[in-house]
Amino acid sequence: MNSLTTQTPVPPRRKRRSKGIRRSWPEKLFDVCNYALFALIGLSTLLPFVNLLAKSLSSEEAVFAGRVGLLPIDLQFGTYRYVLEDEAFMGALRVSVLLTVLGTACSLLVTTLTAYPLSKPRLVGRKWLLLLFIFTMLFGGGLIPTYLLMHNLHLVNTLSVLFLPSMVNVFNMLVIKNYFEGLPDSLEESAKLDGAGHIRILLFIYLPLSLPVLATIALFFAVAFWNDYFNAMIYISNPSLKPLQLFLKELLVSSSDFLRNATMNPDQALNTAPQSIQAASIILATVPILVVYPFLQKYFVKGVLVGSVKE
Amino acid sequence: MTDGNPNAAIAPRPNRRSVWNKIRADRELYLLLLPGLAALLLFKYTPMYGILIAFKDYNIFDGMGGSPWVGMDNFRKLFESEDFLLVLRNTIEISLLKLVFLFPLPIIAAILLNELRLMAFRRTVQTVIYLPHFLSWIIISGLFIDLLSINGGLVNKLLGQFGIEPIPFFLSNDYFRGVLVTTAGWKETGWSTIVYLAAFSTIDPGLYEAARMDGAGRWKQIRHITLPGISPIIVLMLILRLGSLFTADTEQILAMYNSTVYKSSDIIGTYVYRMGLGKQEYSFTTAVGLFESVIGFILIVSGNYLSRKYLRRGIW
Repeated sequence: MNSLTTQTPVPPRRKRRSKGIRRSWPEKLFDVCNYALFALIGLSTLLPFVNLLAKSLSSEEAVFAGRVGLLPIDLQFGTYRYVLEDEAFMGALRVSVLLTVLGTACSLLVTTLTAYPLSKPRLVGRKWLLLLFIFTMLFGGGLIPTYLLMHNLHLVNTLSVLFLPSMVNVFNMLVIKNYFEGLPDSLEESAKLDGAGHIRILLFIYLPLSLPVLATIALFFAVAFWNDYFNAMIYISNPSLKPLQLFLKELLVSSSDFLRNATMNPDQALNTAPQSIQAASIILATVPILVVYPFLQKYFVKGVLVGSVKE
Repeated sequence: MTDGNPNAAIAPRPNRRSVWNKIRADRELYLLLLPGLAALLLFKYTPMYGILIAFKDYNIFDGMGGSPWVGMDNFRKLFESEDFLLVLRNTIEISLLKLVFLFPLPIIAAILLNELRLMAFRRTVQTVIYLPHFLSWIIISGLFIDLLSINGGLVNKLLGQFGIEPIPFFLSNDYFRGVLVTTAGWKETGWSTIVYLAAFSTIDPGLYEAARMDGAGRWKQIRHITLPGISPIIVLMLILRLGSLFTADTEQILAMYNSTVYKSSDIIGTYVYRMGLGKQEYSFTTAVGLFESVIGFILIVSGNYLSRKYLRRGIW
């Protein structure tokens, strides 16, 4: 964040120094346009959410007649009650919560355990080990060989297939490794003199010092698990194991069928899931992200900096 | 790692620290590395061995060993397949569209954001425009299906005000690519500014000071200080984009497309998914996937090589 705040002292000086021709109306006009532009960009980012929220709170008749814009018409909360009482939705929600918790815990543990030894420059073979990890960021076996592996391991249609393969996230591992490298060596040495092994050093010295970066990575993992639909689409066909995003995808497929049908036969289109229910489901699936977003935002600028503009 | 003969041979010579001694001293570190390394080998490297089925006529009953070798047959089939040539062309065209329209956007947005002096306003804008990055393609697909629907979608209502007939954005081969590019821009542009905003902080503020003394206005400062200052980052980002030229974001298209727009928007990733998993064409689609990965690898490695050579900066 300091990168952003260093700019603050500039404006007063600029005002004083360039009150001549430069500060005249072209610059002021530019400022006005610039503020207007970003106000517009901000609003157009929010617009789809506002629209969907309005639809989820309106009566199905108003939505179907296409009368709902940015404000709800015939305000009702029945759609939310319907969705929250729907066993399929709640089941998918439970799978997603379980997956996110298990996946984040598992991935954070293994990724941190991997980052710690690789952050020690004296480790024999470190260069080759790192290369082994980084190479997988550039090249992979691809969808089909990976699927066949999971099939042979009998992991298809299990919850573990959705988080075991992401245990080693190389990018996140490198971020943690870089952070560990920045901690002073003397910490490890003095702990060793006290007779502590590496596991204790990692647990009681490194972890407390790395909480911000670990929190960031944990949030990134959590968001990734929450949002993943692709792996579920590949590996999960058992309805009771489908996470929320896949459940929503299937809901939306009926919605794009709805679009297609509407062009041909409006009566037939009435049989699909009501739009206001879909809207409410999407809004509900977004809420957890909105809840963690302030925490994410607190850390992510830093996190991204460490990862992408190091060296 | 530490068991075996070397231990016995090294133990009586405490003064000479051989490689094995070092490894032995750090055996706890290797132990910590073990779970991650095992997962890497199992889940990332085993599928690389599985690529061999691209050169076989694989069927799931005979398995890897039992299926007959067919050499380059699958690749020959690939370049004769009209389907493949279509998805290849779609992939490259969609990637190029995204590159041309979306790559410059975050750079421009970051520069303009940097000119906003009201910090409260600027933070609010940043908070809002970073948000879509954290939503899944499913959610975004849902948002835009509603927004662009021909039946009361906000956009078509607006167009109706100007007397324009409703446009079936999600069902038209003319418009669907536009939807893909726009939604990708909507999702990622804000987030992508972060890297450039960070790069601004590496520029020496003294340069701006000096430029202002010489009477340079904002435009000249941007043109002669800001842009050259962040050009290394721009090049790095371009190399990364280049590496995914043959990818075109499968997750986005898989979440948004439907059979009516296959002609304009079926890409390598979605094709492999449908043919490979839907129709069990394992060997053929592995060949398609391998083609994609190899080209991606070559692009990113050579991009990095050129950048190292001419700009003395690379991603590794």
